[in-house]
Amino acid sequence: MTRKVRLFVAALSLLALILPAGGALAAKPIVIGAPLSTAFLYGWDAERAMKLAVEEINAAGGVKVGNEKRPLELDVIDTRDLEPGVPVSEALLAVEKLILEKDADFIVGGPVRSEAALAAMALLAKHKKISILTTGALTPKYHAVVGKHPEKFKYLFRISGEAKWMVLGELVPCLLDIGKQFKLDKLYIMVQDVAHARTGGKILKKVMSKKGWKVLADPVVYPTGATDFSMGLLDAKKKGAQVIIIWMDMPESAILLKQWYDMKVPALPFGTIIAAAEQPGFWKATDGKGQFCLANVVNAGNAPSSATPWTMKFVKAYEKKYGMEPEGYGTSSSYMAIYVLKDAIERAGSLDPDKVVAAMKKTDLMGVYGRIRFDPKTNQIIPSLDPKEGAVGTVFQWQKGKRVVVFPPKIATGKILLPPWMKAGK
Amino acid sequence: MDIIIYGIINSATLALMALGFTLVYGVSRLPNFAHGALYVLAGYICWILLHKVGLPYVLAAALSLAFVAAVGGAMYSFILVRIRGMSISEIIASYAIGLAILEGLRWGGLKGGTFTLDYFVEGSVDIAGVSVDYQRILVVILGTLLVGLLYFFVNRTRLGLALKGMAQDERAALTLGIDSDRMAVASMALGSLSAAVAALILLPLGSIVVEAGYHVLIMAVAVCIVGGLGSWTGAILAAFVIGFAQILTTAYLGAHFSVVVALMAIILTLILRPSGLFGKQKELEERV
Repeated sequence: MTRKVRLFVAALSLLALILPAGGALAAKPIVIGAPLSTAFLYGWDAERAMKLAVEEINAAGGVKVGNEKRPLELDVIDTRDLEPGVPVSEALLAVEKLILEKDADFIVGGPVRSEAALAAMALLAKHKKISILTTGALTPKYHAVVGKHPEKFKYLFRISGEAKWMVLGELVPCLLDIGKQFKLDKLYIMVQDVAHARTGGKILKKVMSKKGWKVLADPVVYPTGATDFSMGLLDAKKKGAQVIIIWMDMPESAILLKQWYDMKVPALPFGTIIAAAEQPGFWKATDGKGQFCLANVVNAGNAPSSATPWTMKFVKAYEKKYGMEPEGYGTSSSYMAIYVLKDAIERAGSLDPDKVVAAMKKTDLMGVYGRIRFDPKTNQIIPSLDPKEGAVGTVFQWQKGKRVVVFPPKIATGKILLPPWMKAGK
Repeated sequence: MDIIIYGIINSATLALMALGFTLVYGVSRLPNFAHGALYVLAGYICWILLHKVGLPYVLAAALSLAFVAAVGGAMYSFILVRIRGMSISEIIASYAIGLAILEGLRWGGLKGGTFTLDYFVEGSVDIAGVSVDYQRILVVILGTLLVGLLYFFVNRTRLGLALKGMAQDERAALTLGIDSDRMAVASMALGSLSAAVAALILLPLGSIVVEAGYHVLIMAVAVCIVGGLGSWTGAILAAFVIGFAQILTTAYLGAHFSVVVALMAIILTLILRPSGLFGKQKELEERV
């Protein structure tokens, strides 16, 4: 082959490589607006995961809308709704800005705080914007409202978990397992003063009392930003608590665990939601004082496990891009939301909200955290303890610096351990 | 017993948080609303020097203290000096500087709860059946020591006496050759240093987060208003009143009510005794 022919072939190959992607990149992008509280774990991890999904999809040629391939564009706005003292109206303004100024085709992510997510429902419905809630907001009221007014709120989906399932479907069975294994039955509940935590705490108290556990007090409610938990921990110790449920999304929950360790409270700390303990950096930050803390990261894939073939693929891709494992709740669900949206748009062949909604409702794909389907009435992802049946959660325990998945049993990679200053019951 | 022990710890914590604020106001009549931001800045600088630069703790702590004291002095020299005497402008300007520092830190990557400083001493001890960790005991000891040191400095050193003179009567101090602006720079630097010392003692108990800046500012303002602006004795007494009120509220009413204690204390003080427990300013104005 002469040099000229070789050059010609090389140029042709290069063009062939560039053209499909180039075609997609030249087309008008599909704008995904992401309202997130970016200064907090549930915001920045969601942003990172969405960026990863968008990059992967664009690198593979974009989203097929009818006969056209279009790239995705992510527009993130800081809602600040997880910050103490920031009014809900700030988050609403952020969502409105995404819709009116940024011309977002879809809203994915938040608002992150339950109160803000609930307040944004009317706004999203008014503008007929398909929204997929992926992080933060866990209040069962969200999908209950969608179920009550299915026509008005048909554009609103949630692909992450919700408090009711987390309590009844995951936390209660996990606690009963712990109770059976170590003969423990005394529970103390500490929650943050936010809608999902208060609701979750109340439900848990009621259910565990019915299951024969002694719930030692009403859930102790701490204001967002609380920095001292000594009185609650002393009370738990005095009353003989064996498991302490912690439901807090504020970073200050790390202080609670440090105090728990320093006081050597003989009770297993179980973070139904405990943002501080979810992150891989938690171990180093607490100098190992978080050992034995259990944490629910809501969806599989937020900590390494082999829930589905896609789980570790996602974990490794995240690690490659950001130099760390997925950090906590909101990561895998935000990543999956972009893929679910792509899938729905391609099946609808259009960006028309009504057509995409119809396609979204028919979603059935094996994702990072199991089979992804939405409840036809409430648009809430269908949960399960088996990844083949639905979206599975993950409870891990900090053991020697590693996040070891201990629940649900189908994806567990290790067993629960008790701290050395705590004995199993009789 | 747990209420007494943790009440003392909480009060010492509040006193440490408020000391720098009351010092600056007491000496220079400058309401330093960047106080909370300087507190967080000290912790973050120390963390960077420890974990990114790799300095030993003592050096990192000393450098962060010096840096924050310098920032405090520079704040007065370059910004606050221009609006000296205009109280509202001083509040707005210092608050704006604080906001810029805190939001700048957030923008620069201070997010989440993984930025922490190590305890000085690990472990805990049982006092009358109540478990207390050594770091919290140190908070009380170091807090008392800091108050003593500052008292000695203000009452026994030339610079301290000059600062005291400025606080008592600025005009008379000027006639005696004391430079008002230099004293204001010194008080700002000293107040910022106190905020930084408080940060290095208190932050190991939790994490270095931007929100701590706002929390510390609110607590410092509450302590100073209740105690009487500029009064040291008042500030310490107010720290104990609010500290114990918070612990009692947590124990008997619920932890989520503790957040309103400081704010309620401000409101009640302003209604019942606007000059605070040991404040003189408002009383004199009212009499005139």
